[in-house]
Amino acid sequence: MGQEKYLGGTGTTRREFLAKGAAFALAAAVTGPGLTVLSGCGGSGGSASEPLTFWQPYSGGGQKGVKRWYLDLAETWNKENNTKVELRYIPTDQYQMGSQLPSAFAAGNGPDIFALSAADFLKYYNGGVLQDLSQFMEKEAINDFDYNPKFSSVRKVDGKFYNLPYEMEEMAMFYSVEAFKKAGLSEADIPKTWDQLFNVADKVKTADMFGLLFETAPGLAQNYAWYAFMWMGGGNAVAENGKESNFDSKGTIQALQFWQDAIKSGLAPRTIQGSGYGDLVANMGSGYCAIQNCGVWAVAAMKESAPDFEYGVFKLPVPPGGTYTTDNGAWGMSVNAKGKNPEEAARFAVWAVGSMSKDSIQRCTDWITKAKTDLSPRKSVMEQATKQGAFDSGPMKVFKEEVDPGSTPEPRYPPEIKKAISDALQASELSGADPKREAQQGAEKINAFLQSYSGAKIV
Amino acid sequence: MSVKPSRMAVEMENRLRHKEPTARRRIGRKHREWLAAALFLAPDVLGLLVFLGIPMILSLVLGLFNVSGFGQYTFVGLANYKQMFSDSLYLNSLRVTGIYVFGFVAGLFVASLGLALLVKQKLPFTGVFRSMFFLPQVISLVVVGVVWQFMLNDNIGVLNKLLKSLGFSSYSWLGNPTLALGTVLVVSIWVFMGYYMIIFLAGLQEIPQEYYDAAKVEGASNWQTFRHITWPLLKPTSFFVLLVSTVTGVAGFQAFDLIYIMTKGGPDNSTSLTIYYIYQQAFEYNQFGYAAAMASFLVLILLIVTAAMFILTKGGRFEVG
Repeated sequence: MGQEKYLGGTGTTRREFLAKGAAFALAAAVTGPGLTVLSGCGGSGGSASEPLTFWQPYSGGGQKGVKRWYLDLAETWNKENNTKVELRYIPTDQYQMGSQLPSAFAAGNGPDIFALSAADFLKYYNGGVLQDLSQFMEKEAINDFDYNPKFSSVRKVDGKFYNLPYEMEEMAMFYSVEAFKKAGLSEADIPKTWDQLFNVADKVKTADMFGLLFETAPGLAQNYAWYAFMWMGGGNAVAENGKESNFDSKGTIQALQFWQDAIKSGLAPRTIQGSGYGDLVANMGSGYCAIQNCGVWAVAAMKESAPDFEYGVFKLPVPPGGTYTTDNGAWGMSVNAKGKNPEEAARFAVWAVGSMSKDSIQRCTDWITKAKTDLSPRKSVMEQATKQGAFDSGPMKVFKEEVDPGSTPEPRYPPEIKKAISDALQASELSGADPKREAQQGAEKINAFLQSYSGAKIV
Repeated sequence: MSVKPSRMAVEMENRLRHKEPTARRRIGRKHREWLAAALFLAPDVLGLLVFLGIPMILSLVLGLFNVSGFGQYTFVGLANYKQMFSDSLYLNSLRVTGIYVFGFVAGLFVASLGLALLVKQKLPFTGVFRSMFFLPQVISLVVVGVVWQFMLNDNIGVLNKLLKSLGFSSYSWLGNPTLALGTVLVVSIWVFMGYYMIIFLAGLQEIPQEYYDAAKVEGASNWQTFRHITWPLLKPTSFFVLLVSTVTGVAGFQAFDLIYIMTKGGPDNSTSLTIYYIYQQAFEYNQFGYAAAMASFLVLILLIVTAAMFILTKGGRFEVG
């Protein structure tokens, strides 16, 4: 017999060491990861008692009131129901443009309930994963008596709700009172037309502060902020018949030109601070700009993070010969039709924000008055919030009485149309490309897409 | 009557008896060596197979389907590949990637070699400088992106403030389509130059000091020393740096994080690398099949580029004599 090698003087031979190591590795592979893998092979069907997952971009960070609202929502439901709801927070930027939500759905493990905006509505509806919520709603809530018909139309297909919006977030212009005062301006100088806006922005601009701010980063947010400028001139991306594009209209071209001029003239910056145009605190609040195109949600953000900053709000100025409007978007609750318990999830969504019960109406009122500063698409909620004095004064009064009337709901364009619009906007605004050419190219891309489109109605 | 075996027969028998066990031991040891090697390699090979090999094959197959992202798979053959070549945004992303890779590889090579030559000198606090140059490598790319975005801000960013104080104009480093890609490139090089500096430093330290001593005695200048001693003897290291940085640049792993944070592919698609466009197609447009096809094609480009590098540099072999 040959000499055996001993390891480290331990008396263990190399053969024994290898044999024990292999046995250990095999045992670990089988009992550890092996079990995890096996338990993951169960498919998506679950029992009625399994908790429902609710993914949204609110409950984990940002404003305290918003976080509290979601946590209370889940706690209240869980106290009264056997099927529990578990919240999962994903930061907004990741939620809308990240990979978690699409990956989950692609793997057949999408959340049972999830926040969805009009911008992404058709992506999920056409994918067949949205549950009809109307069958769980009271008649008073379904018919146009309670829900704003124009606003809720983009959340419905064939008259049925597939998404329950619980807020309305209009776009407006915010201005710094101090910047106005330093430039010798007052409320009387608030601009009503595009030319007046440029004049005022030029007066308040300094070496360290831009006069004006529009979103410049490509994506959903920039499109959302820009749509109103296109609509005011009579432009649109998709015609009323939904079969062709009128993106190359005069209204579109002048809107592209307007945003281009803001950058070219040096009035507006090419890059935005913080989390983008929606971050009033990081931009106007920090003195980066004097006038900022932002939404109603910023009122709550300023109250929380910059309560001493003096600012005002005015509705979007109009182009020559144009008609005022503004973009009006919102998050809403949708239910995964292929989730583990769509019926129970739908009951939760309706109970939460879509019911005519006092609790549901109060909950929606709390959302727009305490958690955030928004308006509501529901008449009952607006009445209650008005009674509670939410719109008596300050920026919210301006939003309710001046900004909201005439607003247009955020369109539910499929991603291909949004990209065509975004490319035209980016090229015009930041590369100085000819707006007419960009609008024509955008129209061609949209028309090419519409020819093969076969999902739910876009307009 | 028994016959006593001859001495020769006994010797032969003994030899055979000793030979058989020896042969058995030789085969046994070889077999054990192979088994040991296989067992040690198994975890890595299994990991590569499960997390790399199989997903790559699945991705290749996925590229032949139209995948909605909600469970619907439709076989479309090569339609996704055909679509790629008529997709102007994809072709733009290839152009942007080409520029990025060229700039990244060249810039990184020069910067890291320069730093390595610098920190090889016997100067005070060399260790501190080496650590400082390497530091960006250990910071999260997300943090790098956020901080640089802040520093490069229009008007009030640190860099523009400095330029203005020196009497220059300020620039929109990330908001101007002609500057944005170069800016991301510079940040990428800043992140990685420390790491490749260490690699070059190791290569430089392998060069025998006697060669430099001899060159000094012969009266060679610094440039002559670099050109005739350092550069040729650094070939294997140089090849490694070129190869790895090319793969990193084409695959865009580090660039994706920076672009996602700093520019989102803008302004006007000027920083839309192929890797970012693939991400958009998959997760913003739910075109998983198309994204998989583009990813497979990117791998093919990478294989061709690296094969070309091996052929042109003869595998980075050190030619003696």
